[in-house]
Amino acid sequence: MALLPTACSSDDDALTFFFAANPEEADARLRVVDAFQRRHPDIKVRTLLSGPDALQHVSIYCAGGKCPDVLMAWEFTYAGLAERGVLLDLNTMLAHDKTFAAELAADSVASMYETFTYNGGQYAFPEQWSGTFLYYNKKLFAEAGVRPPPGRWDQPWSFGEFLDAARVLTKRDRSGRVSQWGFVDTWVPYYSALMFGMNNGVPWSDPRMNPTHLNFDDAAFIQGIQFYADLNNKYRVAPTASESQSMSQTDLFTSGHAAMALGGHWRYQTLERAPDLDFDITVLPTGPKGHAAQSNIGTTGLAIASSSPRKKQAWEFVKFATGPVGQAVIAETGLFVPALRSAVGSPDFAKAHSRIGNMAVLTGGPAHAEGLPVTPAWPKIVALMDRNIGPVLRGSQPATSLTYGLTPKVDEVLRTP
Amino acid sequence: MTPIDATATAVARRRGPSGRRARAGRIFVAPNLTAVAVFMLFPLGFSLYMSFHDWDMFSPAKFVGLANYRSLFAEDPLFSIALRNTVVYTVGTVLAGVLNRKIKGIAIFRTIIFLPLAVSSVVMAVVWQFVFNTNNGLLNIILGWIGIDPIPWLVDPKYAMASLCIVSVWRSVPFATVILLAAMQGVPENLYEAARLDGAGELRQFVSITVPLIRSAVSFVVVISIIHAFQAFDLVYVLTGRNGGPETATYVLGIMLFQHAFAFLEFGYASALAWVMFAILLVLTVVQLRLGRRRAAQEERSWA
Repeated sequence: MALLPTACSSDDDALTFFFAANPEEADARLRVVDAFQRRHPDIKVRTLLSGPDALQHVSIYCAGGKCPDVLMAWEFTYAGLAERGVLLDLNTMLAHDKTFAAELAADSVASMYETFTYNGGQYAFPEQWSGTFLYYNKKLFAEAGVRPPPGRWDQPWSFGEFLDAARVLTKRDRSGRVSQWGFVDTWVPYYSALMFGMNNGVPWSDPRMNPTHLNFDDAAFIQGIQFYADLNNKYRVAPTASESQSMSQTDLFTSGHAAMALGGHWRYQTLERAPDLDFDITVLPTGPKGHAAQSNIGTTGLAIASSSPRKKQAWEFVKFATGPVGQAVIAETGLFVPALRSAVGSPDFAKAHSRIGNMAVLTGGPAHAEGLPVTPAWPKIVALMDRNIGPVLRGSQPATSLTYGLTPKVDEVLRTP
Repeated sequence: MTPIDATATAVARRRGPSGRRARAGRIFVAPNLTAVAVFMLFPLGFSLYMSFHDWDMFSPAKFVGLANYRSLFAEDPLFSIALRNTVVYTVGTVLAGVLNRKIKGIAIFRTIIFLPLAVSSVVMAVVWQFVFNTNNGLLNIILGWIGIDPIPWLVDPKYAMASLCIVSVWRSVPFATVILLAAMQGVPENLYEAARLDGAGELRQFVSITVPLIRSAVSFVVVISIIHAFQAFDLVYVLTGRNGGPETATYVLGIMLFQHAFAFLEFGYASALAWVMFAILLVLTVVQLRLGRRRAAQEERSWA
């Protein structure tokens, strides 16, 4: 099967499946699709690989009347599509499939399942937990004589301990140029900054669904963001945007030039293939006001287009990938951290992650994770955050500037999207 | 024969061979006209229509009157930023581009000058990204030789717009050169000879003969460059990202339009913005042409 980047031809009645994946993930994704086709030889599947901006890509498909039948859905962005009527309320299908409904109810993690429950409808079933944690280079820790970080979410380590480790692990050559960084970030910097705010005891928003306010005016939240910004501006243990221009932060970690890297499971396939990289994973550090180490309910799921003429086949595919059978295949291929409990706990999942010692960070992730805001206005919020958190991360403004600079703008967008 | 047939025959007879030619002409033009109507007139009209609506491509469009324009001018703080950035970018590009008009000469140099014309702007932007790299970029390495510390070209909002203008100037030089060189070659050589006999130096010849005689070409280059620069999008998108970052440093109107249309799915608002851009360009161009014409008329009078 080939990965087709576009959906131009519609000459056959194949089920179209839209998803995003980095090149390393794409192989595993296709193996899951193959497993589906072996069980359902009567349903042909045509894959559509997303471009860099999945929401934009899928919006244009759907607005143009060529909506893929099955779509990957993201926690941050699906609400906009649900609000516009692009996604089918899966409760309508679930009502006719009691057996699967029972299976799903017994095996699901509520916080992930409910991420896709929006205004009373169920717009996707979770396929994976994609929360964030830290990767660390075991060899660099050992060489520097730093104690390995904790291996479970219920064994937190503090911002201070994390910073001490990062300081020891940042190495400079004789000219003062950094040859090894203590910490790099392979996610989106303004999201990661908020993860440090969350680990200082404050969620991004409350309530989670359709919030009218984000906590950029909360002192503890801001303190966490400031700590993250200080990692590169004050403590110099993490590269600035300029310093990671010539080599991406992921590459810094895979090539052994960084000791810790913030990211999610989506980096695993890349890191696993890196030669001479001996790594493990650990939990995010906890701030002075934090109560426990926390990740986020990052999750992606599968949705069905409300305009799909192949809803029955689409339902079979979604059932497969998000149900026990497909989730077991996902566990075995190592594509994702599966969303269903049975699959996460399976020996196959552990076998597919033989490079990881601290499996509890993955398996215990969803239970120690806070939900992120779900609002149809998310693209606008992102643009605002990008613009306003930028000066804070660059060190030209303190994080306290967000209270008056960003909060009113965000709240206005949330109230009138 | 019915009265209608009779009239038709009479008309055909009256038209004769030239009428037939005209008809054939119209048939030949028809495909092109259809293309213009379908791909230009219709989208233009449609976007004008949409600019009075609230439309996200999925729900039916809702008529909102002038609300899009009102919030663009009165409520959107980013519009003035985008407009200012666009003006800075346009002025930077056009001024520096036109000032380069004296460049001429040997074939190899000309080839190098024309090179940007043959390269797609996306490829160009990607290459310039390497050039602007803070720690290992060509530009900072060269600046390092003369003792200047690395400049965060694309990372710092202070420098991002300047970087963008540098690339844009580099790209617009060949276009200006092609037009202006052609215009300069059209200036009769005997005028220069006469001027030399009268004792005029190189500079004097340039100011009094070359510039007045290529004035229409210069104003053409300026108008086209303004229009191009005003619509800047691809270069910015690749060089500093789809949000016109860092922060709002390179948030030009083209990026604003794209963001509203394809990230926020506010097609009505984006259409309104497109028409405002069109109106600004129209006014600029008309003013420019008027000024050019008046200057030409004055000169004619002074020669007479």
